[in-house]
Amino acid sequence: MKPDVKLVLLGDMNVGKTSLLHRYTERKFTNTISTIGGAFFLKQWGPHNISIWDTAGREQFHGLGSMYCRGADAVILTYDVTNWQSLAELEDRFLAVTDTAKPDCIFAIVGNKADLTDDCALFKEAEGDESPVQTKGSPRLRKQVHTEDAVALYKRILKYKMLEEKDCLPAEKMCFETSAKTGYNVDTLFESLFDMVVPVILKNRNEGFSQTVDLTEYNDGKRTRPGCCV
Amino acid sequence: MSVKAFELVPAVERALLMGDKARINIECIECCGKNLYVGTNDCFIYHFLLEEKTTSKEKLTFSVQKQQHKYLGLKKPVSELKAASALNRLIVLCDNTIMLVNMLNLDPVQSGAKIKGVVTFTVNENPVNGDPFSVELGVISVKRRTIQIYMVYEDRVQIVKELATPEQPSAVCLDGYFLCLALTTQYIIVNYSTGASQDLFPFDTEEKKPIVKRIGREEFLLAGPGGLGMFATAAGISQRAPVHWSENVIGAAICFPYVVALDEGFVTVHSMLDQQLKQTLPFRDGHIMQDFEGKVILATMKEVYVLVPLPLERQLLDLLASQRVEEAIVLVEGAQRNIPKEKFLVMYRRILQQAGFIQFGQLQFLEAKDSFSKGQLDARELISLYPLLLPSTSTFTRSHPPLHEFADLNHLTQGDQEKITKCKRFLINYLKEIRSTEVANGYKEDVDTALLKLYAEADHESLLDLLVSENFCLLVDSAPWLEKHKNLFIVCSDILTGKIKDTNLNLECAILYGKLEEHDKALHILVHQLKDFQAAEDYCLWNSEGRDLSYRQRLFHMLLAVYMDPAVANDTLVMAAVDLLNTNAEVFDAVRVLRLVPGNWSIQLLCPFLRGAMRENMHSKRMSQVALGLAKSENAIYKHEKLKYKGLINLSEKKGCQLCHNTFSEPECVCYPNGILVHIHCAAKRNRDSASKQHFTNPSNHT
Ligand SMILES: Nc1nc2c(ncn2[C@@H]2O[C@H](COP(=O)(O)OP(=O)(O)OP(=O)(O)O)[C@@H](O)[C@H]2O)c(=O)[nH]1
Ligand SMILES: [Mg+2]
Repeated sequence: MKPDVKLVLLGDMNVGKTSLLHRYTERKFTNTISTIGGAFFLKQWGPHNISIWDTAGREQFHGLGSMYCRGADAVILTYDVTNWQSLAELEDRFLAVTDTAKPDCIFAIVGNKADLTDDCALFKEAEGDESPVQTKGSPRLRKQVHTEDAVALYKRILKYKMLEEKDCLPAEKMCFETSAKTGYNVDTLFESLFDMVVPVILKNRNEGFSQTVDLTEYNDGKRTRPGCCV
Repeated sequence: MSVKAFELVPAVERALLMGDKARINIECIECCGKNLYVGTNDCFIYHFLLEEKTTSKEKLTFSVQKQQHKYLGLKKPVSELKAASALNRLIVLCDNTIMLVNMLNLDPVQSGAKIKGVVTFTVNENPVNGDPFSVELGVISVKRRTIQIYMVYEDRVQIVKELATPEQPSAVCLDGYFLCLALTTQYIIVNYSTGASQDLFPFDTEEKKPIVKRIGREEFLLAGPGGLGMFATAAGISQRAPVHWSENVIGAAICFPYVVALDEGFVTVHSMLDQQLKQTLPFRDGHIMQDFEGKVILATMKEVYVLVPLPLERQLLDLLASQRVEEAIVLVEGAQRNIPKEKFLVMYRRILQQAGFIQFGQLQFLEAKDSFSKGQLDARELISLYPLLLPSTSTFTRSHPPLHEFADLNHLTQGDQEKITKCKRFLINYLKEIRSTEVANGYKEDVDTALLKLYAEADHESLLDLLVSENFCLLVDSAPWLEKHKNLFIVCSDILTGKIKDTNLNLECAILYGKLEEHDKALHILVHQLKDFQAAEDYCLWNSEGRDLSYRQRLFHMLLAVYMDPAVANDTLVMAAVDLLNTNAEVFDAVRVLRLVPGNWSIQLLCPFLRGAMRENMHSKRMSQVALGLAKSENAIYKHEKLKYKGLINLSEKKGCQLCHNTFSEPECVCYPNGILVHIHCAAKRNRDSASKQHFTNPSNHT
């Protein structure tokens, strides 16, 4: 089975990349060990095979990032909401790694561990159960990174990529706060990204031989990457 | 849990090489078919014939016969050997020089063809211009930062290309036009035809020995940071997750689907399918590991070993024993090209069948069904798990060795009734599907009888379908089973024996007709033979249970027709008809009834019926009016919502009222759901004028 979409999780060690992927694929929060090298997972999404690469945040494996990002259709830049440095690292260390991704790669910025700072993140999303997943409540930590900080970073990323904001998916749609621990926003994160990335790859595929847009596949209202507007 | 995938078997022992000469060591090895070559640090090449032997205890050993040994006369170690069997040549690297020797007698070629200034070289196993009588070499030259491509013929060599690299290369592999190189600080891939180069990832080759191995078409295996075995394609992409070796890995080799690696104390075996560590074999002082046409050979300084894959069957059994079904299937499918077709099919089917039972045991029915049908399972293997389903006359015995470890369904489910029900439902579906296919040939009785028993037990509606269609149900076995499950299908046993004559079976017969939806026949029996009018009425109620009203109505009309059948008219039946009408007035279509009843019946007689019918008519008329009203208001709500979502409406002096075509002078207006804007007064007028009131107006003011 050959994957036709590639999605890569990047971010500093310990921010919860593996936990997020686990939560999404296995529907649970389990103990993880710091990732060695990288791991990948295949997800069937409609007619598409999406490969999701979980990379290692440890400094030692930093050099592998460019290769794992090569040809990526979407990159999830992950930080820890309780750790300012983890957001800074995204810009300092990981942004350059994405240079090998596809030119119209889409970027999401994800603040994980929201359960430690936000009450609303104690609930799983859209599963109908209204009881907090974790009742005891771990000691409340100070939120070091706020959504505005992530939005600002998103805009700086567009600058770095020399893209016009108006041509791109809006920052509000691309910045998420999640909790791998409670499941908060995790499905939303992955699935809205899948929905955003599929039209882009279809468009690229179509461009090869025809200008026709497949209306059944076209997701209206979700504007895609700049490519379609220039 | 791990798998035993390989075994280390000694091949060339110390005594055959250097004996007790302590300073003489193995430098390199090469294996080509049965020919094993060993190069030593004292400039000798040894040639052995390596033959597999299986002893009585199924234990594999090697018999080794020394053919030749030759001193190359350079007093330098023989650092690399590669066989080019099509040319009958052995390519030898010694003292930074590549030379060609005869594969059999080890004599240097007459022409004395040589390549000088070579650090290391590689053979292209997938050359683009595949001249079978030449071999393409990639060479790292002693000249700084230079790679050369050579063609080697029987007794000459020819340089094809020379490329400069950005840093000093230390390891090289070739596939097609692609050179995979370890440079001082990183790995890169260079297309030697176009010169295009692609960075892979950083690696400090001065600190750690790099590994570059071709593992297939345009894919390489590389030693990465932190003891990783990294996969990379010629396009610079990783398609498989890395395997995790130890930090001190010395060599790596591929023996599909495994990646084996050598470090100071162990041989490790990882699966390329799931990247997991499968086996660890202690091996001390190893310093060479290479694969040759799928055969992995290791050497210490003094001895040579072969890493023998365990028979596939053995590995598969191990995997299945630890319930690793998917791995087992991938492994057997991956082996297809290495086994004769017949043998493969037998093994493949068996593995699938076993896999199917494991999946079945885990109640993964979809997967199990898939495995069973792909594996062409003898359905009796499955049926025999269910106690008493196989006919007593069946000659079936389970295959040996067994396909699974379950005694029966109770054992498998540990008595859990819910699970048992699920398993039975699965078997019904499975047998239903296969009973008319080829797989069932030769034991159709067993299959159909089992199915009948399952149907009877489950009170399954398909029982009759089975019996009325062509089937192979065994009489002796089926009849008692049907009796035992004292349900209405008792009658079926009579069909089975074809003797439905007895009048006391009339009721069952009627029920049977009911099942077949031949209601008139059923009602006929009830009315004319059994004369049980209450039963006839109940029959209509019972058979229209859960169906729509018109179905019930049809049954009641049918019954009425039976009562009023002019051929058998009598007073009792007339009274029954009147009773029926009067007590079930609401079910009947009053108009049709009135057409049917003879003129001589008095109004008095049918009074309750007529009253009921009128009431019913009024009721349904009013109900439909209510429904209509509700639907209308719901529609209005939706339209209102829709309008809200449309957002703001632009009203400007340039826009005119679509009714009177004058401009708007005030912010108030009426907006129709289709977006048309009109003056409030125009709308009001139109509303008054429009007698049909089909146009729904929704006054919403926007400023
Ligand atoms: N409270 C909380 N803890 C989390 C959450 N997600 C991850 N963790 C914890 O954070 C630690 C690191 O999680 P991982 O998923 O291994 O982090 P990673 O980003 O994959 O780290 P590397 O593999 O080293 O790059 C673990 O102890 C997790 O249990 C979260 O949403 N909430
Ligand atoms: Mg991780």
